[in-house]
Amino acid sequence: MSAAGMSIATEDDASYMLRYTFFYGITEDLQVTLTTPTVIERLENAPRTRGNSMMPSNGDIEAALWYRFFSNAFGVGKRFESTAILGVSAPTEDVRGQVNVGNSIHGAISTGYASRTWYAWLGGGYQYYFEKDNQQLGDLPYASMVIGYRPDVFMGDYPKPDWRVFIESLVEFPGDNKYTGQQNFTDERSKKVLVGPSFLGLYGAWGISFGALFPVVQDLTPKAIKENYRVSINLSYWL
Amino acid sequence: MKKIVLLIVVVVFGSFSSNAQIQKIDQEVFGMDCAPCAYGLERGLEKLDGLEKVQVSLNDGKAYLDLANNNNLSLRQIQEEVKKNGFSAKNAEIVIKGNFVEQDGTYAIQTGKETFKIAEATSTNLRSRLKPGIVKVKGIVQDEEDGNLTNKWKLNITQVY
Repeated sequence: MSAAGMSIATEDDASYMLRYTFFYGITEDLQVTLTTPTVIERLENAPRTRGNSMMPSNGDIEAALWYRFFSNAFGVGKRFESTAILGVSAPTEDVRGQVNVGNSIHGAISTGYASRTWYAWLGGGYQYYFEKDNQQLGDLPYASMVIGYRPDVFMGDYPKPDWRVFIESLVEFPGDNKYTGQQNFTDERSKKVLVGPSFLGLYGAWGISFGALFPVVQDLTPKAIKENYRVSINLSYWL
Repeated sequence: MKKIVLLIVVVVFGSFSSNAQIQKIDQEVFGMDCAPCAYGLERGLEKLDGLEKVQVSLNDGKAYLDLANNNNLSLRQIQEEVKKNGFSAKNAEIVIKGNFVEQDGTYAIQTGKETFKIAEATSTNLRSRLKPGIVKVKGIVQDEEDGNLTNKWKLNITQVY
């Protein structure tokens, strides 16, 4: 299980949220998750985004099924694996960014390589919000890439602490919201590229990660919200 | 007198048979790259009855196991636990006490649960030191496919005690 603190800052405002996630492994390859938010401060005009493939960055409660459909452990500490995620979510607020919020579905796929020294992960996903009272939040295709490295100084053997540094990048193509009285909906999408560092520390059954993402490209539709940064901190415990 | 001799034979043989077991396993594990991975495997192994000491090394990619006296654990149970935690069990170095037997022209060491067939790679010198009955050896158990584990293994003996 994990507890996370997340914040998204736009040009005008910032959101603050705590999020609790519970993981349960049904088999070695199948896992269910449930993530619930405690929203401390909502954005009046929230950008369409997710925190990552694991959890939303808004007020949604999400349940998901993870299936590791490929795994190849080919060396000491080395493996390739691929995972598919399918989730459903329900909002905890009625309106988000002045648009009614419906339930949504989310699907993602990721594949990557892990070793004791290097990590590389590629993924992509799509979230679709259902219409509610003639209004609909925009959909969200996205892709992400993570490169991780553990320097020799952090190569202490278990049960010593285990630290890694990452560079994360995220590309999002959020669709515009649809709402009553809207004229000339063009189906255009914004394009965002965010990059930033993150750190992961593991000790026994505990894990802590923290990081930030900064937009380097924001090609936005007129109604989309410009972001300044995203930060998150996540504390995990494996029961 | 005959009864006493018979009783001694039964007691001695019975005692040796009950001691036929694996005593130590250094199990190579592939795919384990993080502290929670090691923690999960360590915790899973500790739940198995018959282990005296469990130590998992991420850098070596190994689980070092000391088995208790009179344990009833099998190598298959250990490797299945590795697989259950999402990793792949590879070669294992074991210290084993078992009954050395000849079966259809091949030689093997048997414990209560498993048979370790002596691999051809075992040197002639070491093989010649094995006599029928209870023996104690150290060796490398060759990797078997994780999804197709049986109670039969190939053992390349590296030391005879």
